[in-house]
Amino acid sequence: MPDLEDSSQPRLATGCRWTGEGSNRTLVYPEGALRLQETAMAILERCDGQRTFQQIVEELVNAYNASDPGKIRQDASVFLERLRQKRLVDF
Amino acid sequence: MVEAPLALIAEITHRCPLHCVYCSNPEQMVSPASELSTQQWQRVFEESAKLGILHVHLTGGEPLAREDLIKLVQSAHQHGLYTNLITSGVGLSDQKLEALVDAGLDHIQLSFQDSREAAANWIAGTRSHALKLQIAPMIRRSKAAFTVNIVIHRQNVDHLEEMIALAESLEPERLEIAHVQYYGWAWKNLDTLLPSRDQVLKSLEKITAAQKRLEGKIRIDAVVPDYYARFPKACMGGWGRRQLLIDPSGTVLPCHAAAVIPGLRFENVRDRALEWIWQESESFQKFRGESWMPEPCRSCDRRAEDFGGCRCQAFMITGDAAATDPVCSLAPTHSLIEQKLSQMNSAVPEQTAQLVSIQPQNFWVYRPQPK
Repeated sequence: MPDLEDSSQPRLATGCRWTGEGSNRTLVYPEGALRLQETAMAILERCDGQRTFQQIVEELVNAYNASDPGKIRQDASVFLERLRQKRLVDF
Repeated sequence: MVEAPLALIAEITHRCPLHCVYCSNPEQMVSPASELSTQQWQRVFEESAKLGILHVHLTGGEPLAREDLIKLVQSAHQHGLYTNLITSGVGLSDQKLEALVDAGLDHIQLSFQDSREAAANWIAGTRSHALKLQIAPMIRRSKAAFTVNIVIHRQNVDHLEEMIALAESLEPERLEIAHVQYYGWAWKNLDTLLPSRDQVLKSLEKITAAQKRLEGKIRIDAVVPDYYARFPKACMGGWGRRQLLIDPSGTVLPCHAAAVIPGLRFENVRDRALEWIWQESESFQKFRGESWMPEPCRSCDRRAEDFGGCRCQAFMITGDAAATDPVCSLAPTHSLIEQKLSQMNSAVPEQTAQLVSIQPQNFWVYRPQPK
């Protein structure tokens, strides 16, 4: 398993996709579904296999006008690692 | 207001080339002539999506036995449902698979009866294992998510590691290791399927070790055997709470086995709107919530976790569908389970390899074809 690095390009794993709009937006995957909180959604919606992890963090820092980019990076990294363990995200 | 269900189990046909001795289909199977038409299933998928359902599990029998399967997948997908095909693989080709994935199929679950060919064919009552091994790489190459499902029991659980190794070699995203649940045809074969306590404990250790070893590579979900548990399973996530099942003729059930419970009238999608059936029909309300519960469930701290366990199991073992699930250590009828377990644990499990070679004619009750 490669570590999550600035150059990693996280993406939704095979069989994992979005469904529904607005407040009904839900991540669906084999045998499960997740309604995410706003920040979690903001991270995951940027995992398109194109953006690098560094770009994602920069966008989040700008979107939330965050004063502590290190904290955002750390939180996003823990979140994506956890989703990879569940086979919802690949990088 | 009743919450929307999350998943529809669509048993689109009871026809199947396999005869698995633990099949979850009911004893009274639906004849091919009584199956819903393409248009009727399409309407069901539309109604399901409107009701808020997210997942549809296309199962059977063998769903590939339906010639209109691609149309059904297309319809489920167009209505926004996450579409899963639960299959033996028999009837799948590269071409068919491509068409199914193009139609919007999200996920395929391929079942294996064993890692050893003779034993697998013995369980399935047909020669299907070699074919499954050819089908698996096709599924792996497709864009659909891939789950391997292995069913474990008294006759194969001792070589679980070998089965996990087989599954690993097929490179699925997900592996489901399911101890047999004793309904349908498995209930008839209980004495030859129910593992010993030692077998169960060892299997759980092996599953935990595999989960740890394969973390991030293969997600392993395990179905544990409730006969050996202290508390019952939250069957279907609670009666009429999370899931519903529609049988090939359109009858709507809270679970695979509910038809065994006498005195319940189950509605059909040909006559009634699915939303009404879910929210209002008598059969779905019967064991929903807590008002039906007897003691000790009614005052139990776990009642919102396991919902009193399984109604079908309660009926099958105690004769009363409204009894506490007898697998629960707190159930007044728990001694029925203890007696069964004591009987099964005094006998030493037979050696599978020997059984295959000296297979007595009446060892299993095989699931027949619907007429």
